[in-house]
Amino acid sequence: MTVVSCIEPIDVETEDFLDALVVDATITDEMDNHTIYLTRTYRFESESTAEQGAQITLSDDSGAAIGFDEVIPGTYRSSVPFAAQEGRAYTLKIVATNGISYSSRPAQLPQNVALDSVYAQRITNDFGEDGVAIFVDAFDPTGNSQNFRYEFEETYKIIAPKWRPEDLLSTGIECGVDVVPKTKEDQTCFASKASNRIILANTSNLEENRVDRFMVRFIDGENYIISHRYSVLVTQYTQSNEAYSFFDALNQFSSSESLFSETQPGFLSGNIFSETNQDEKVLGYFDVSAVSKKRIFFNYEDLYPGEDLPPYVNPCNTIAPMLISQGGARCVLSAMVDENQVSYYDENQDPPFEEGPYKVVPRECGDCTVLGKTERPEFWIE
Amino acid sequence: MKRFFVVAMLVVGMKYAMSQEQIPSISVSFANTPVKEALGEIEDKTGYKFFYLEEWLEKIRVTGNYQNTPVNVVLDNIFKDTVLNYFIMDSQQIFLMQNNQIYDSLPDDFFGAENQLSDDDFPNYDQLQDIGPLFLESDDSGTRGLQVVKIGKENRNSGRRTFTLSGRALNSRNGQPIPDLAIIVEGKDIGTSTNANGNYSLELPIGENVITTRGLGIQESRTKIILYNDGSYNFQLNESVEALDEVVVQGNRDRNVETAITGVTLIEVEKIKNIPLVLGERDILKAAITLPGITTAGEGASGYNVRGGRTDQNLILLDNGVIYNPSHFFGIFSAINPFTTGSAEIYKGNVPAEFGGRLSSVFDIESKDANTEKFSGEASIGPVTSNVVLETPIIKDKSALMVGGRATYSDWILGALDDEQLSNSTASFFDVLAKYNHTINENNEIKATGYYSRDEFSITSDSIFNYSNRLVSLGWDHKFSEKTTGSLILSNSEYQFGIEFDGESNDDFDLGYKNNETEFKYKMKYLPGGKHKFDFGLSSKLYVVNPGNIDPLGLDSDVTALTIPKERGLESAVFISDSYEVNDKLLIDLGLRYSFYAALGAGDQRIYQENAPKNSGTLVETQTFDENEFIETYGGPEVRFSARYFLAPDFSIKASLNNAYQYIHTLSNNTTVSPTDTWKLSDLNIEPQEAYQASLGLYKNFEGNKYELSLEGYYKKQKNLLDYKVGAQLLLNEAIETEVLQGDGKAYGVEFLIKKNEGKLNGWLGYTYSRSFVKLDSEFSEERVNNGEFFPSNFDKPHDISLVANYKFTRRFSASANFVYQTGRPVTFPIGSFSFNNSEFVFYSDRNKFRIPDYYRLDLSFNMEGNHKIKKFAHSFWSFSIYNVLGRNNPYSVFFVTEDGDIKAYQSSIFAIPVPTITYNFKF
Repeated sequence: MTVVSCIEPIDVETEDFLDALVVDATITDEMDNHTIYLTRTYRFESESTAEQGAQITLSDDSGAAIGFDEVIPGTYRSSVPFAAQEGRAYTLKIVATNGISYSSRPAQLPQNVALDSVYAQRITNDFGEDGVAIFVDAFDPTGNSQNFRYEFEETYKIIAPKWRPEDLLSTGIECGVDVVPKTKEDQTCFASKASNRIILANTSNLEENRVDRFMVRFIDGENYIISHRYSVLVTQYTQSNEAYSFFDALNQFSSSESLFSETQPGFLSGNIFSETNQDEKVLGYFDVSAVSKKRIFFNYEDLYPGEDLPPYVNPCNTIAPMLISQGGARCVLSAMVDENQVSYYDENQDPPFEEGPYKVVPRECGDCTVLGKTERPEFWIE
Repeated sequence: MKRFFVVAMLVVGMKYAMSQEQIPSISVSFANTPVKEALGEIEDKTGYKFFYLEEWLEKIRVTGNYQNTPVNVVLDNIFKDTVLNYFIMDSQQIFLMQNNQIYDSLPDDFFGAENQLSDDDFPNYDQLQDIGPLFLESDDSGTRGLQVVKIGKENRNSGRRTFTLSGRALNSRNGQPIPDLAIIVEGKDIGTSTNANGNYSLELPIGENVITTRGLGIQESRTKIILYNDGSYNFQLNESVEALDEVVVQGNRDRNVETAITGVTLIEVEKIKNIPLVLGERDILKAAITLPGITTAGEGASGYNVRGGRTDQNLILLDNGVIYNPSHFFGIFSAINPFTTGSAEIYKGNVPAEFGGRLSSVFDIESKDANTEKFSGEASIGPVTSNVVLETPIIKDKSALMVGGRATYSDWILGALDDEQLSNSTASFFDVLAKYNHTINENNEIKATGYYSRDEFSITSDSIFNYSNRLVSLGWDHKFSEKTTGSLILSNSEYQFGIEFDGESNDDFDLGYKNNETEFKYKMKYLPGGKHKFDFGLSSKLYVVNPGNIDPLGLDSDVTALTIPKERGLESAVFISDSYEVNDKLLIDLGLRYSFYAALGAGDQRIYQENAPKNSGTLVETQTFDENEFIETYGGPEVRFSARYFLAPDFSIKASLNNAYQYIHTLSNNTTVSPTDTWKLSDLNIEPQEAYQASLGLYKNFEGNKYELSLEGYYKKQKNLLDYKVGAQLLLNEAIETEVLQGDGKAYGVEFLIKKNEGKLNGWLGYTYSRSFVKLDSEFSEERVNNGEFFPSNFDKPHDISLVANYKFTRRFSASANFVYQTGRPVTFPIGSFSFNNSEFVFYSDRNKFRIPDYYRLDLSFNMEGNHKIKKFAHSFWSFSIYNVLGRNNPYSVFFVTEDGDIKAYQSSIFAIPVPTITYNFKF
């Protein structure tokens, strides 16, 4: 007996679509031009669309108001930099393109809890996999704020494993290809990726308000992103109870289910409502939270001294395609070069039948710009 | 021939009617002397000669000391407690007679008063029958060759024409009682059935009665009973060899048409062994769901939905103790050991008045009585579990003990599941049952049952879940008289679950939940004779719920120990019911129950503003109650009325009306039952659930009882069903009332069932059309679901077809098939996606607007019996079955998750491919 039960992906189409406004607004105590994203809901089979031309005003209970400008479609930035203040109640007001007004319930800034430390350790996780865990510790002696949400942005160095200073250039004549020196740096790059999970920690049932060894990220030991030097910026948002409940429920609805039981889903209402029709469904949340950020770096050697690097994103096998296909119907190598699919690796001395004059590797093996950017980020420290 | 003898004796007796005059006196003493010897002694001392059949005197011993006592007084004493009469003739011969009394004179008014004879005075035949001796009719066509049993001693002075025959039906192989055996008096419209202990009681006319017994798996018997007085007779019946191939589940044959109650089903474990198995487990509750009106939310869903009711509305009783979670391994196996189980009576329509506290059904499961005759056992070896049951007499023919246990070998089954999470999981379970039954004497019987089941599983390596059921029950059946019996029941049961979490961080914990109930119940049955049968009694139950506690696990854990204060409640009831036979056609069963519930202190209760949604913002105050103070009381009358009317002798119509209250509710925010669902008692803020049901049915048997047909319809309304706000946190929440909603439910349906009980091909076909809806309305939008309109419940599956068929090739080989078709269950589907927080999410609106695809499945099995040589040490039984032969990938659920920022839709199914199983059972 082998497979008994199964969970398999299926294709679905939206059968009964509801178009609604989506508000993604987080205002923090950091002095900044804060950003609010307005979009519309969309069908599974299509893409998110921006809510353009809306009017957004943020006001507090002292009567102060700040306006927002649409910088790119659907993205609105505060016209002045500001930081949310403790003790103030903030209300977000939106007039959508179609003229309908929305406003949020008032939200207050919770007391800030500083992130004590962020650290990386090599562990074996619950599923028995070796890898690097990014942990956070935080402590709030006052115990006033107990809800934390984390985001991270990871940046890592990529070195193309089969880099050569030369490149191939298609001559455009009879499928010809030339070896030319590279004119731009493409051996070492940096790539960044932001977290796309809801990561929550809660200390309400702990004796003291301490987040201890909370894992925000686990990177498999076989993942090439830790091959050289890796950095992660962890942002901790201290949230109000209401905001935390919203994120928690959203997370529950969207995370993997047990095979046998399923949380009853339903409409999750946030804190933004239509001023004209209380029953209109508005998605998203207006959150005012306190932030604390920390960045760390580590090298592969620090955690895996003397061990082989994890496999690169591509096994980088070399091939030597012929210049012209058998029978002469079309170009082979020059077509690959034009499509930016390969990087030059070496000459192919005395090519046997069915091989061409140059050895090449998949593009990313000799050119890291496929995966990242060559310019070093400002924060980067070697 | 015997009959001839009796009649001849009667004539002789008449002839010598005047000769009983000079009776000598003797002095004699007996001390446990066999009657035969005693009579010999009398012969020696008097010169009388006795005439009798020796077999009549076997086992009868006499004790007594007589000084100069007339012989007839001595004989009166000797035969006082026997069925023998004697007749002295010619001062020389004494004839002994079994049962008969010989009359030496006619009753005074046998011919009426001659001098005042007129047409009016002339006694009619009935009156004649009411007086005087019994003349046996000699028309015995069709009853020749039957075993004739004479019961009771004819009493010269009796004017009674009906007597009570009571006794037991016992399995001649193992001495165990046969419940639900139909006992029918041929040609007289009298009948009854044996109760769970095999006891019966019948009011019979004096004289000859031909009694037929019919029962499932029991050879039909016909016995001619000649009744002279109240008496008892035990039927010793053989198992029918056919039973091995016979189907299953059965509302007791004649009961189908005959009883007044609607919506009742009897399942006998012995009879379900041919239903195709999944993973080798014969399962009484799985057999139940092949019958109309009982469903589960899906394959692998724990809990049963009966006639559109929720899973918490079933009272599942094992030997009168409540089992809160009757399933193992997420519902794939039931926690009821099939080998220790005798039968399960499932009430889905009208519930007898003695039961209460749950709205939808009662699963009254009785474990079988242990074998008091000899050591015996049964064992099975299957791919997932093994099962052993042993029975041993303690005092032969009086008391015995049964111990049964069942356990999984390993958790390989999880490894076989094609789910990354589950294949890293472990799971194990076991259950044990011990039962002691002791027949103290014919009037007293005690039974004690202990049961424990436990499951442990871990889905990820950092957490371990466990849950267990424990119950103890004691029963004492006492017969006060032929007409009055009483049963005392004490039971205690406990359900608990725990989660141990041991992860990387400082939040390792040990979480626990527990509820415990103790019940006292006394019920009596009173059969005054004639047309009434009364059942009445009272019960009281104390609930103690520990809604949750969490403790730090390990030294490094910073988790604060927290205990949600315990809740207590007392549920009591008095009940009475009368089964009243209005006339030959109309039978009325009227039950009344008054249930009363008190939420008991000590405890705190939060009071919220009136006309406002319950949340932390509308909290007014917290009231504190002292130990045993009534926090709030609820209760009300419950009516259990049903009636049967015979349209023809094998065709009846029945109707019933009933209502019920329920004071304990599950808290679950899952669409199907989860092992971490907790139970909550009604209190100041949570009102009891109520249900009202009306049903009407037609029942018809064809060709004897070869075919049974029933058609039943019902309509049900429910109030105060507990539901939850979106994203509710139910565990370790002190203010649970802020997360729950209470709403209405309605359900209706038509159930059709045709059964073929006999023949090479037997089985049944059921079709149910049913709907079930919920309405959660409120003036506040946060307490409203689907705009406050009725929406389909999570288990609303309108069409349900179920076919079970067995075909018997020979005595040893048989094959069976099981086919199920059901409409897909409702699910809440997203109505679009949105971007938020650098990810995509789906969003949901109205609940249960869509359905997963329809469910269908075919199972086949092939069974082989070991041979039936009586002397053989063990009877063996092989079963080879294939579950889901068609390999239909029946979706269990469809869900949407956000993975790496993108939405993925998945469909899960439990048994997506054919699952073959082979099991070996043996019995000794």
